[in-house]
Amino acid sequence: MASMSSGDESLRLCVFDLRRGQTEGQELDKILFFHPPELDVSTQLSVTGLSEGLITFTRLFSPEAACEVIEAERHSHVFFEAETDIWMVMVVEKNKDTGAIWRIDALRGMLKEVHSLFVMFHGSVRALLEKEPTGGLTRAQLYPFITDYLSTFQKRSRSEDWCCDLFVGKKLQLPNFRETTLSERGTVQMLTLARDTALEVQSLVQVLDSCAGNLQCLSMILFQDLLVSTTLSPDDTVNLFTFAVMRLTSQALLSSDASSWSHLRKGTGSSETSSRSTSGSIDSLHHVIRPLQNDKWKKGKDGFLVTDIWGLETGGSPDPAIPIVWLQETQERVYLLAYQYKSLTLLLLLPETDIVNGGLSAVKQQVIEQASLRIMKIEEKISRGWGGENAYHVKGYRYLVVDTDLEVSRASPSGKVATLAKESLLALNKLREEVDLEKSRAKRQERDLEICIRAKNNAWVIARVSRDKELYMALEKASDTLLDATDAVGRFSNRYCSGAFLMD
Amino acid sequence: MTTSDSSSSSSSSSANDFADRNPSTDPGTNSDRVQSQLESMNLSEPSGVSDGSPTDDDDEEVASANGIEGGEEIEALPRAGEHPVEMEAGEEPPSPTSSGYDGERGSSGGASSTYKADEDEIREANVDADTASQHEAAWLPGKRHVDEDDASLSWRKRKKHFFILSNSGKPIYSRYGDEHKLAGFSATLQAIISFVENGGDRVNLVKAGKHQVVFLVKGPIYLVCISCTDETYEYLRGQLDLLYGQMIVILTKSIDRCFEKNAKFDMTPLLGGTDAVFSSLVHSFSWNPATFLHAYTCLPLPYASRKATGTVLQDVCASGVLFALLMCRHKVVSLAGAQKASLHPDDLLLLSNFVMSSESFRQVLNILPIYKQTSESFSPICLPRYNPQAFLHAYVHFFDDDTYVILLTTRSDAFYHLKDGRVRIEAVLVKSNILTTVQRSIAEGGLRVEDLPIDRRLRQKPSSTNNQGQDSTEVSVGTGGPFGLWHFMYRSVYLDQYVSSEFSPPVTSHRQQKSLYRAYQKLYASMHEKGLGPHKTQYRRDENYTLLCWVTPDFELYAAFDPLADKAMAIKICNQVCQRVKEVENEVFLQGASPFSW
Repeated sequence: MASMSSGDESLRLCVFDLRRGQTEGQELDKILFFHPPELDVSTQLSVTGLSEGLITFTRLFSPEAACEVIEAERHSHVFFEAETDIWMVMVVEKNKDTGAIWRIDALRGMLKEVHSLFVMFHGSVRALLEKEPTGGLTRAQLYPFITDYLSTFQKRSRSEDWCCDLFVGKKLQLPNFRETTLSERGTVQMLTLARDTALEVQSLVQVLDSCAGNLQCLSMILFQDLLVSTTLSPDDTVNLFTFAVMRLTSQALLSSDASSWSHLRKGTGSSETSSRSTSGSIDSLHHVIRPLQNDKWKKGKDGFLVTDIWGLETGGSPDPAIPIVWLQETQERVYLLAYQYKSLTLLLLLPETDIVNGGLSAVKQQVIEQASLRIMKIEEKISRGWGGENAYHVKGYRYLVVDTDLEVSRASPSGKVATLAKESLLALNKLREEVDLEKSRAKRQERDLEICIRAKNNAWVIARVSRDKELYMALEKASDTLLDATDAVGRFSNRYCSGAFLMD
Repeated sequence: MTTSDSSSSSSSSSANDFADRNPSTDPGTNSDRVQSQLESMNLSEPSGVSDGSPTDDDDEEVASANGIEGGEEIEALPRAGEHPVEMEAGEEPPSPTSSGYDGERGSSGGASSTYKADEDEIREANVDADTASQHEAAWLPGKRHVDEDDASLSWRKRKKHFFILSNSGKPIYSRYGDEHKLAGFSATLQAIISFVENGGDRVNLVKAGKHQVVFLVKGPIYLVCISCTDETYEYLRGQLDLLYGQMIVILTKSIDRCFEKNAKFDMTPLLGGTDAVFSSLVHSFSWNPATFLHAYTCLPLPYASRKATGTVLQDVCASGVLFALLMCRHKVVSLAGAQKASLHPDDLLLLSNFVMSSESFRQVLNILPIYKQTSESFSPICLPRYNPQAFLHAYVHFFDDDTYVILLTTRSDAFYHLKDGRVRIEAVLVKSNILTTVQRSIAEGGLRVEDLPIDRRLRQKPSSTNNQGQDSTEVSVGTGGPFGLWHFMYRSVYLDQYVSSEFSPPVTSHRQQKSLYRAYQKLYASMHEKGLGPHKTQYRRDENYTLLCWVTPDFELYAAFDPLADKAMAIKICNQVCQRVKEVENEVFLQGASPFSW
């Protein structure tokens, strides 16, 4: 690995199937995805070989949980068994000087996220492999999907000043401790509504439900990048929310319009396809869809978002096809309709099997007729009361609150987090690592932990875990004593977390 | 080498005898592909076994197997002094055939263990000594479960494995199981390390569920720990470091040269019979805070007694002795060093472990009376922090079961000179009645949280934030010290010494004590985080403890309270603890005479 050329050291990501390539000489068949794709085959095999070796080795002692991470001097190897025997391994370079400091659980969160999104659009990897045992179809879908994910997931933060292009030269820059310490991947961020607005949203949800007539219509509403309401299960909400924030919300559309980003991405993308000598033929064999492709969504005249990612409607219609996604909870395929008015984005999900020809157009028509006025009013109302990007800033605090049961989190705005001293953030990042460890040891219901550390720079970094709820905080008031800091946490908990974090 | 209990020459002579004595155990593989290694191990999933998960508690598992209910644990217990069982337990009938260092160790497969039982086996501390002594015969010396190997499920389920192997994959030491039977497993470990190394990196840690696999590479020697004990990575790595150090104590670092000459060199014969030394060290990882604080502790003594001892040790050092130590078990009574010579606390730990766990140093032992004449030994020994390349020569003499002197010199012909030194020291000990004082100190124990003066003002002051509905006096009743203080450790940074309180209720059983130490270890690792640390203060509460830690340039305080303890009160109590330690520092610390000026 040391002999590798520079530039491709920072990230390696592979997906492999332990059930494939069992005979000698066939090992390459295990690999379903590898980034960077131009890496020579023997190096790819050495990554999967080591991974597989350690999975087997650790199962000797720990049959119920195989290898999760390898910490080496210069790299961290993060493991995630996405499906039985389908492993994702991410290898990142560590470098304190360049800020390449990672929290393993945050990195694993990325693997979980990309896998969940993949399953949402394509179904499980195992199912794809069973459908087409050569693995060609799976590879053809995985390559563009993960590459699109990697190349653009930072886009949602483009507006912020720390942001940089994901590919600098050919180097990927994953979110490091600065971005991950006070944020939690795999959760949604909610908008807090005034009571009367909440009631109006409630009635809008009912109207949306009725737009499909007798059919069940699930819905999700976002204001900017925040969730307003959902009728989906928490897991499905997280997946769709993540996708919407990446590609569908008003901000996502805005940023995709405005950038020279696409040229960069296209350049990279094409080099990737060409470097896969086989992929060209596979692509033509299989109908490859790239749901995470950027710059592909536009707002239509009727307010509905359209894309040609899924091609055209069958039967010679000039209309673009409506995307279909899998819902985890019901294991059901549903059409995804997205409607947007200014900052408000609505997602409607309709069972594929129940929609007959032209059925979707009727639903669209109903939404426009029945709901558009309410949507307008609610958008206006929320916008008027909206405090802007610092709406959830609490003076003097830099915080993250997570509810792991509901998969919801709220944090200080990133602009405010950026004002913390690097030492404070690093200390908190380290503390989160400790808490991650403790969490994995304790049973969910028994979790009860409070840690307050006064770091070298006199900042207090605090973690508080109570069952499903977690609070992380940095306080940089040098004069504070332990009791002052505890009081500050207590006040915050009472005011903003309904007293969930009792401090003794 | 002149010696009365010749425990001297063999390790140095065999260190020069580098022939590969046992080529048949060569695993014969130096594969650089982990995969093929793993395949060759014929791994099988633990099928057909109802429970593939590690037994929840290793203690229990082994304890039931041996029918051992436990034993009185070490000196920290208040009453341990009345029954110095730690010593009795380790004692074996003197072997009539053994006299030499090597021969003795080699023949009996580790003559003895100086602790009563391995960490696996000790359970409750409240078993009385009579019961404990009945079980003596059942205790296995040194290594246990030699019949196991990596194919046995029981072996895989052990909570903590230690391995030492050479960079060609030859096994050198395994805590459990026969090294030779583990050749294939050892080769796998080697393959993992070298696979990562070939990629230009170095593997430190592999995590899987509750298991951690920790690697440490020391030149041609690889050390690996596989553990599901919930200890920190930092501490496990520190344990490997100490294990390596213990090996250096016995062999010096010149062992590296053997591997340069012959990559397939078999080291196991050189360590023959030292299982007890390693297992005793491994055991100490779970009870001796010195292993993670990197500081030593003194036996509490009146200032005058310690000073008298210190003076004579200093005199002896002035006559050409490098270090002179008077020890009581693993605690220091006093010590002195030649000018500019400094002794690292880790060296002290390894040295006392070596002496305490090697039966050859204490051949003729009689349980009390104190003044019985006992053995003396002269043995090559290496202090890895002082100079890992060379042997020193140690003169060791036990005055009684607990108290012994170690005199270290660079000269191999100094036996009679050191013996004279010991006679001078003994004269002072007798004259000042020090050995009796030592025995009294053992019996009385050290600082107790119950003895902390309770500030009346604190007691009366209602606790403002206590939401448990208990008033503060209630909290302090029957739970160790005032206001729920259960235990503390105070480490003086300049002195390289620590003092810890005796265990008090409710932290009474060995299991509870081990659990508290593990909580301290986490706290220590968290406070001393590399790169960021040390942090200044930490408050940590979980379902088991409230822990408070202060790190200042002068001292570090670690205190454990009831999990319901009031925060404000706990802080005040910590202040009082520091105050209290300052008051008694002349009795609990070795002051001034320090060769520890590094």
